[in-house]
Amino acid sequence: MHEPPQDPFNAGDSLTRRDFLKLLSTSFAALSLVGCKLRPPKEKIIPFLQQPEESVPGLASWYASTCSGCPAACGVLAKSRDGRPIKLEGNPDHPLSRGGLCARGQATVLDLYDSQRLRTPWQGASPISWAQADAAIIAKLKKSDAIRIVSRTVSSPSLLAALEKFKQRFPAARHIVYEPLSSSAIVEAHHRTHGQAVLPHYHFDRARVIVSFDADFLGTWISPVEFIKDWSANRRLDKERGLMSWHAQFEPRLSLTGTNADLRRPLKPSQEFATLAALGRMVARRVGWQGPLPPEEGAPGVAESLLEHTAGMLTDAKRRSLVVSGSQDPDAQMLVNWINVLLDNYGSTLDIERPSRQNRSDDAAMDQLIEEMKRGQVSALLCLDANPAYDHPRAADFVRAMGRVQLSIALADRKDETAALCGFLCPLSHSLESWGDAEPVPGVLSLQQPLLSPIFESRSALETLLRWSGQSVSAYDFVKEHWRQNVFSRRKGKQGFTSFWDEALRRGAVTVAAAALPAGRFVPDALSRLKPARRPAKSGDFELVPYASTALGDGRQANNPWLQELPDPMSRVSWGNYASFSPGDAQRLGLEEGRVVRLSVPGRQAELPVHIQTGQAEGVVAAALGYGRKNAGPIAANHPMVKMLPLERDLLGGADLYAWLKTQTVSVTVTPGRSPLAKVQIYDSLTDPLMGQKRPFVRETTLQEYVQDPRSGNPEVPEEKGLWPRHEYKGHKWGMAVDLNSCMGCGACVVGCQAENNVPVVGKAEVRKSRDMAWIRIDRYYEDDRTSFQPILCQHCDNAPCETVCPVLASVHSTEGLSMQVYNRCVGTRYCSNNCPYKVRRFNWFDYAHQDLVQNMALNPDVTVRSRGVMEKCSFCVQRIYSAKFQAKQEGRQLKDGDVIPACAQSCPADALVFGDLNDPNSRVSRLARDSRSYRVLAELGVGPSIFYRTKVRNRRV
Amino acid sequence: MVFLRLTTPALAAKAPSQIQKSAALFIMKCAKCHTIGAGDRVGPDLRGAADRHEREWLVKFIMSPGVFLASDPAAQKLLEKYNGVRMEETHLARADVEGILEYLKAASAGGLSSQAPLAVEEEPMRLKVRMPEEGFSVFWPGLAFLFLLLAAAAALWQFRGHRPAIALLFVCAALAYWTFGGRRYYHLLGNQQGYEPVQPIAFSHARHAGSLGIACLYCHYAAERSDVAAVPAVNVCMNCHGAVRKAFSAKTPSPEIAKLLAVWEKHEASIPWVRVHQLPDYVHFTHRIHVNNNIQCQECHGPVETMERVRQASALSMGWCIACHRLKTGDAPSHWKRASGPLDCAACHW
Repeated sequence: MHEPPQDPFNAGDSLTRRDFLKLLSTSFAALSLVGCKLRPPKEKIIPFLQQPEESVPGLASWYASTCSGCPAACGVLAKSRDGRPIKLEGNPDHPLSRGGLCARGQATVLDLYDSQRLRTPWQGASPISWAQADAAIIAKLKKSDAIRIVSRTVSSPSLLAALEKFKQRFPAARHIVYEPLSSSAIVEAHHRTHGQAVLPHYHFDRARVIVSFDADFLGTWISPVEFIKDWSANRRLDKERGLMSWHAQFEPRLSLTGTNADLRRPLKPSQEFATLAALGRMVARRVGWQGPLPPEEGAPGVAESLLEHTAGMLTDAKRRSLVVSGSQDPDAQMLVNWINVLLDNYGSTLDIERPSRQNRSDDAAMDQLIEEMKRGQVSALLCLDANPAYDHPRAADFVRAMGRVQLSIALADRKDETAALCGFLCPLSHSLESWGDAEPVPGVLSLQQPLLSPIFESRSALETLLRWSGQSVSAYDFVKEHWRQNVFSRRKGKQGFTSFWDEALRRGAVTVAAAALPAGRFVPDALSRLKPARRPAKSGDFELVPYASTALGDGRQANNPWLQELPDPMSRVSWGNYASFSPGDAQRLGLEEGRVVRLSVPGRQAELPVHIQTGQAEGVVAAALGYGRKNAGPIAANHPMVKMLPLERDLLGGADLYAWLKTQTVSVTVTPGRSPLAKVQIYDSLTDPLMGQKRPFVRETTLQEYVQDPRSGNPEVPEEKGLWPRHEYKGHKWGMAVDLNSCMGCGACVVGCQAENNVPVVGKAEVRKSRDMAWIRIDRYYEDDRTSFQPILCQHCDNAPCETVCPVLASVHSTEGLSMQVYNRCVGTRYCSNNCPYKVRRFNWFDYAHQDLVQNMALNPDVTVRSRGVMEKCSFCVQRIYSAKFQAKQEGRQLKDGDVIPACAQSCPADALVFGDLNDPNSRVSRLARDSRSYRVLAELGVGPSIFYRTKVRNRRV
Repeated sequence: MVFLRLTTPALAAKAPSQIQKSAALFIMKCAKCHTIGAGDRVGPDLRGAADRHEREWLVKFIMSPGVFLASDPAAQKLLEKYNGVRMEETHLARADVEGILEYLKAASAGGLSSQAPLAVEEEPMRLKVRMPEEGFSVFWPGLAFLFLLLAAAAALWQFRGHRPAIALLFVCAALAYWTFGGRRYYHLLGNQQGYEPVQPIAFSHARHAGSLGIACLYCHYAAERSDVAAVPAVNVCMNCHGAVRKAFSAKTPSPEIAKLLAVWEKHEASIPWVRVHQLPDYVHFTHRIHVNNNIQCQECHGPVETMERVRQASALSMGWCIACHRLKTGDAPSHWKRASGPLDCAACHW
């Protein structure tokens, strides 16, 4: 168990209060005496020797590139200040991600400045130079008769070409792809039903009815940003777009996608097959299917009437519907394929002619590799940015088999779990340091360009492979040449190569022609032989559901403090892993939040604190993957952020669930231990627990009622008259509109704000004390079986209660409606925070986490780094407001709508946040503010908030 | 409060404000590359240019050089003559361009030097920004009251014990502080006015900006686009010093120039200049908005073109900033485009 952190003001033999006051008065006197002589520290200005042509000191430049957070390969725009990349934003020109970027993608910029990265190549325990490493490795590779390259999904065509070159030089080499979050079952199922081992490219934007069986496509499944863009296009409720889509979700745990579904029912993994089969039969009956039917295996886990309804909805939306499943069981995925065939969805909502390349996991090949290694048949193993010793379900087997490989080489950014076992360590450059490209879907290509030369002695995988293959070209030349030969000829226009390349580099992405694969015909014969892979648990045992969390994903970014502190959208827990139980199970076992339980199967056990999750299926225990990294660094191991607190090693938060991926059922033992969760929200309901009355922060209605009455669910509320005269805004009046119908709670805005505004990370111990610092948070409420999200940031009230109580005028109102916080005036009384009805003000209890000098390079120089004892809060990104104003003045024009986009609104993949001038009647925000769905939270207090929320409209049909 | 005096002696008589504004615009936008009567620089000497060319031709050229250079053959010939260095976009309105042409005419005719249309006098050191004077002096009543309290404290010490006496002494100390005006000097904490550090290379602004007449924005080009004015990169120095060295290759360079050449030839580490003007981290000052408002560099930085070593001429305190931001149209110098800057805290503190 962890020790309670010491109170720094009452520590042992330090100052007493009286001594402290004495010291204070003496230092005041001293200060007055020497006051006139005080000088700020002497600083140096060291200019460039040769100024790069496009860079102006102090001015940000933006470069288009490709995100490396996951193989979905979204387009990014990277902001560079004086040669340092400091922020990533989505690239609006990228045809798949269309300007969106998830929390994990935005956080990759911090991985660049991770001080745990390898700084030089290593051979065993000694650092060597690249020349030595190259010579030694090439000599040994030449002698190897079986070389295996293990990588995660490679979406870069250039890197694949380099791998081919490598295989030409070393014919004994074979390339094996695996992905921690595998989609192998889908590929396998298509191989069996359509004769094509492909992962379909899903088009949620074309689907009017979506049924998902445990596929968290808005959170972590395959290509979340693309899917959020597609999915939310049909949820926006614009008049011209017509009606909303209908989305049903059947899943064992409450996922981000499930919270946003119109119909959601908990479903145990063991019941999924039977439920799919039942749904398939109902659809088959409706469309008049003549072929074989799958066997009836047990009872479906969802009421038959609901399934009938779902089947009816699907059939009505034939060719405009989509059924997806996140199951790892190929048989279940074959049922999904069958239903999509029944509904004629192939060629419309899913595309197997131009399949997705975003997840190419081949689980069978990886199993075969481990067997080969065990038998000693692999002489050289090259782990290319892959970490199977941690994130493969058979990691223990892999680690044992590593002992029989003579030459092991890791191309990794840090000495991770796999690299620690390898003979050679070759440091890998970050994507912001290297040239590359990506083709996530055939015909959609993007370039990845470096913004700085490698900080450490690292090289990109492309460069290293080229060097070992005996190619003397640079990565840049290789990528360019590859594009000249393979991409240029597929272009749609008629331009020459130089302008094609320059345009691709400037925009970041191009769309070119792509040959279609032959679409295989559905083979129905296999249907009758299907059987479920998962069996129900013995009575008393639980079915285990390991899942990828929205914040950490597969765990490759586990040492990223922004992501560790990002609360899970549903549980609102940050820092550490936990086991989720349904309320019913928790009651039966006598569990409370934070109680430690032991999950065990014969030969293996793990201890985790308990979280009680509304909406979870009974008899299921869920825990996240991506935790329990041993070699990722101190953040991944849950070390505290604040230096002055005693070292707290919270190993309970860190169980590694990858070893349990193939485990179906576990038994649960309650232990006497406790480990409080670092939870940022302790109330779950809109109903006041004391008074029993509903407090309508989130207003909602149903689509059916909304069509009848546009003001449904949004009654007028009388406002309290304020004590103070209203402010007058002669120029701009900044405000924001938040569409609760679009916001799906992903948390991209939280990380976007953190990157833009230098919001500190406080660590687990501080979050437990509710001292988290996020300027924007996404509150989550449960009401019956409905979940709603609400982004809450400073409401910039016209009559702000915080401003009237500040004794030193540190909290004041601007002429443009901003509630300003002046850090240099603030003395830290925290009166403002106590008086804020929205609880959006954050106090710096310590000087947080600026000890890591490498990581400090990610700080935004346009925003003050706040010191201890100062209150802070959302500023509506005032630095962006002024920057846009300066730009407009410089160009001699008026500020126009859309010039100012705060970081949160920019990063929202669902376009839920709109910022602008409320005094301009034609601005988007003022049009939205006048909408019939628009309301303001706690407006009845008369504080006059500037943020307009729009009611959530649910397409509830049952 | 007028804290600097602007004088344009030769042109003060006729239409002073318009010609001042145009003179200031010329310095900001044109003087980087052009002179009036001091010979060709990057671009041609503009003496008499307003009479050499048609007015409409000049106006079009200046308003959108990019478009004009692409189409006009005469302009292309000029471009060729001046080494193909394209004129950058000026973002000037038509009225401003015509004003500049008027100024060109006047300056060419009157033999007015292009370098100093504005003579700025440095403000005296320190104490320039004061708290407003008290209506009446609190000194004598304060002193009397202080003695009274001290007597009371002595009595307390004698009869009531030490604790209340010490408490009263604290009150006395606070009163003394107030009476003797300690608070008036708060703004001097951290005030660096007059700071004049020794630099690694004894670069003389008096030589470069003064006698050679190189425009400020030639080297500090970032000032009109960026938040910072930026110390120029070494390659900017070498733009001229490279040519100078070739011309005088036989002579040994002066020891200070030798330092520059050594840095350039070694090409490893750059010159570690000592920062003179330094604002606290919680203040965000932006050069570009001030420069683009036609505020002359000297108005804040003092007569840099006379300084051998750069010195902080102004207080750079908040009161000093606000003094200008509060100026209403009419009170502000006439060459500024706009008077009255924003007074919101968040205009600078974020």
